[in-house]
Amino acid sequence: MKKVLAAFLITTMAASLAACGGQGGRTAPDGSGTETDAAVDGGAAASGDEAAAIDTSEHVVINYMVTGDPPEGEAKENLNRMMEELNGILTEKVNAELQIYYIPWTDWLANYNLTLAQMDGSVDLVGTASDWLDAWPNAKDGAFLELSENMLKTYAPKTWASVSPEHWELCKYNGEIYLMPEDNYAQWTNHGFIYRADWAKEAGLDEVKSWEDMTAYFAYVRKAYPDIMAWDSDGTAYGTLAGGWTASHSDFVAIDGITANALWGGTKSDPYTITVPQYDDTDMMVAFAKEMAKWDEMGVWSTDVLNKTTTANRDDYRIGKVAAEQHHTQTWTDLCSHTDNNKIYTDDSDAESGFFWFGEETGNVVRLSITHGAMAVSAASENPERALMVYDLIRNDPDCYRLFNYGIKGVSWDVNEDGLRITPEGYNPDTQNINGMTNYWWGRNDDLEIRDASRNWDVIEPMYEELDAAAIDYPYGQFVPDVDAIQAQINNVNEVYTNDMKLIAYGKFDDQGMTAEEAVQKLHDDLQKAGIETVTEELQRQFDELYK
Amino acid sequence: MKDISAGPLGKKKTWYQVFWRYRVLTLMCIPAILFFFFFSYMPMPGIWVAFVDYKYRKGVFGSPFVGLRNFEFLAQSGKLWTLTRNTILYNLAFIILGNLFAVFIAILLNEIQSRRFKKLSQTMMFLPYFISQVLVGILVFNLLNYDTGFVNEVLRALGKTPWQPYSSPGAWPVLMVIIYLWQQTGYNSVVYFASICGIDAEIIEAARVDGANAFQKIRYILLPMLKPTIVILLLFALGGIVKGNFGLFYNVIGQNPMLYDTTDIIETYVYRSTIADFNFSSASAVGLYQSIVGFVIVLCANGVIKKIEPDYSLF
Repeated sequence: MKKVLAAFLITTMAASLAACGGQGGRTAPDGSGTETDAAVDGGAAASGDEAAAIDTSEHVVINYMVTGDPPEGEAKENLNRMMEELNGILTEKVNAELQIYYIPWTDWLANYNLTLAQMDGSVDLVGTASDWLDAWPNAKDGAFLELSENMLKTYAPKTWASVSPEHWELCKYNGEIYLMPEDNYAQWTNHGFIYRADWAKEAGLDEVKSWEDMTAYFAYVRKAYPDIMAWDSDGTAYGTLAGGWTASHSDFVAIDGITANALWGGTKSDPYTITVPQYDDTDMMVAFAKEMAKWDEMGVWSTDVLNKTTTANRDDYRIGKVAAEQHHTQTWTDLCSHTDNNKIYTDDSDAESGFFWFGEETGNVVRLSITHGAMAVSAASENPERALMVYDLIRNDPDCYRLFNYGIKGVSWDVNEDGLRITPEGYNPDTQNINGMTNYWWGRNDDLEIRDASRNWDVIEPMYEELDAAAIDYPYGQFVPDVDAIQAQINNVNEVYTNDMKLIAYGKFDDQGMTAEEAVQKLHDDLQKAGIETVTEELQRQFDELYK
Repeated sequence: MKDISAGPLGKKKTWYQVFWRYRVLTLMCIPAILFFFFFSYMPMPGIWVAFVDYKYRKGVFGSPFVGLRNFEFLAQSGKLWTLTRNTILYNLAFIILGNLFAVFIAILLNEIQSRRFKKLSQTMMFLPYFISQVLVGILVFNLLNYDTGFVNEVLRALGKTPWQPYSSPGAWPVLMVIIYLWQQTGYNSVVYFASICGIDAEIIEAARVDGANAFQKIRYILLPMLKPTIVILLLFALGGIVKGNFGLFYNVIGQNPMLYDTTDIIETYVYRSTIADFNFSSASAVGLYQSIVGFVIVLCANGVIKKIEPDYSLF
C-alpha cells in the first residue's frame, strides 16, 4: 500500500511540474527572446524605408487594453459603428483590426495588473502610466515588450519621429524602451478643489486662493445651503489632501510611482536630497490635522466617510447637489464649461466654477510627466509588429485619430465656422460621446486635436497661463527606483500611512481620543517603525548613483 | 486500512488483490480522486512562488530564489500577533457559536410538527446564505451608518442620541458574530438536521414509550447521536482557523482604519498591503503560513480527540 502511495505521489509531483514547465515554455517565446529578435531582424531589413516589405498578408486582431467601463446598449452600438469604420481603414492600411479590452473601474488596478500577469496574449496594446498604472513595476516584472529602436522605426515610424530623443530616454528602463509617451498633449493634472465661484463671492471671498479660504467657503456653504452637501468625498482622498497641503506649505516635489501615496521627493531648491515632509515636518502636519478636524466638525463630508469607497460627487456637482469637487485642472476645464452635462449653468445663470490648485499659495506646481499616459505592448502579444503599426495610425493619422477620439464626423462631432469642434444637432452626450468610451489617454496629439467649442476657453486659458508661469518640469523623469530590496518596508509604510493618514486627513482622530499632536506623532512613530528611514536611505543611494 | 488488507485468515494480501476485491468501490471513488489530484496535488509545486522573486516571463520556477524574503513583510509589520489573534478569535467564535446555534436550530426544526411551517422556516433561514457578501456589506452600512442609517433614523425619531458604530471598534466583534450567525446558521443547521433525520425512529419511539419527555429525548438521544457529526465538523473547521473570512470582513469593514484594531484579520491586511505592489509572492507566502499553522492545529486537535475517543478522529 505504501508503495502505491509513494508511486502516486511521485507521479503527481512529476505531472504537475511538467504542467508548470509546459506553461512556462508556452509563454516564453511569445514575448521575449526569439520572436523579438526576429522582429528586430525584420526591422533592420525593412528599414531601407520599404514599408511595403512588411508582411501583412495575415489579417490580425489587435486588442487594446484600457481602464474604463464598457459602454452598454445604445452607446455600445454607436461605438461599434465607429469601430467598424475605423477597422475598415486599419484593414486597408495594415490588414488589422482593433478591439477594445476594458478593465472596468471597480478594483481597476488589481484587475489591470492581473490581466497583464496572465500573459496569454489576450491583449496587445496596453494603455499605461508611470504614476497611476504601475508602468514601471510591470516593465520590471516582464509584462511589457522591449521596443527596440529598429522595431519603432520600422513599425511606428511616425511615432518614432515625433518623440524627441530626450523623451525616448525617459521611457527607458535598464536601457530598453518600454513606453511610447503621450508627450505632445497639453494638459494639467495637478490636483486641487473645484468650487462654486458664485457662492464663494456670496461668502465674501473674491477667489479661493488658499486652504483657509476653502475653510471659509465650506463654512459659508454649510450655513447658507444646509441641504447641499459640501463635498461628498469617499474615504480615498486622504493622500491627495495630505499631498495637497504639503504642496501648499513647502517647495516639496514628489517622486512618482513608488507608492500610490507620493511620500518621497526632493525640494525645488534642493531636488536631489530626499525628504519626506509628511514624516519630518510635524508642525506642518499638526496644522493640517487641525484644519481637517474643522472640516469634519463642519460636516464637509459624511460622518462615515471612511466606509465609503465610491460616491457620485462629480455628477452631483454637475447638477448642483454638492459645492465642491476634488480633482485636477483637466477635470475643472470640463466642469467650468457650459456643456449639456453641466446642468448647473442652465439651472442658475450666475453659476461659475473656480479652481483652487494645491500649491497655489507657494506657486509650487510641477508639469506633467510625459509618461502620465503612455502606450506599451504586452510581452505576450502575438503580433507586436502589427500592434505598433495600428498604434502609429491611431496616434498620427488624422482620420484614424479623430474617428477613435471623437467618433464619426457629423454624428458625434462636427466643426463650426471658427474651426472649433462642436456637437451636431441631436447629439446625445450619454450615448454618443466616443471619447468617453475609447478612453485614449496614451498618445493624444495636439497636432491633430480640434479645440472643443464647448470649453470655456475664456477662463481656461488664463488658468493655463497661470500654471505655466509657476510650473517647473518634473525633475525625476529618468529615475526608476529599484525597490526589490525595500519592498517589504514600502508595503508596511504604505499600510500605516494609509491607516493613520485617513484619521488625520478626515479629522477623525478625535473620535479615537487623540489630539492633533498625538495623531501626527503616532503617524511619525508608526512610519519610523515600518522602516521609512531605510527606504529613504536606499532611495537616496540610488539618487546619488544617478544624479551625482 | 488494517482490516482491509488483512485477509480472513490473517494472511496479508498484496495490494492488487485488495484493489481487485474492492474494484467497484475504487471505481466509484475515481471522480473524487481525480478532483483532488488535479485541484489539490497538481498545483502544489506552485508553493515555490512564495520563495522566489516572481517575474512573469521567467515563470514560477525560472524566477530567482530569494529564500524567506517574501515572509519578511508580515513579520516586520509588527502586526502579525494582532492579526493572528483577531483571525483565530473570530474563527473560534464563528465555529463554536455557529455550531451551537446550528445544532439548536436543527433540534428546533425537528420538533416542529407542522410540515408547512417547518419548510417555510427552513427556507427563510437558508436564504441569507445566498446573499453575496458585497450586498451584506451594503445592507449593514445602510442599517448602521450615522447620517442616514436605519438604526440611527429610528433612534433620532425616538429622541435618542444616534449611535456611531463606524467609529467604535469595540462594537464590531459582537456585530461581526451576529452578521455571521445570521448568514450561516440556516445553512449549517441543514447538516445537523439531516443527521437527526437519520436517527433510527425506533430509538425515539422506544424512549417515548418509556416516558421520556421532549427535553429528555434531546438530552439523552439526539445530542449523543449528533456527537460524531459535531466532532467531525469541528475538526474540519479547525483546519481553517487561521484562514479568515475575507469576503465578510472586507465588505463590512471596508477600508476604515478606525476599526482595524478589532476587525483586521490576516486576509484583509495582506490584501491591503500587497494590492499596492501586486506581489504574488508575498501573498503566497502568507497563504503558506496560514496553511502550515492550520495543518498543525488540525494534527493537534485530531491527536487530542484520538486520545479521548478514537472512533471520532479523522485519521
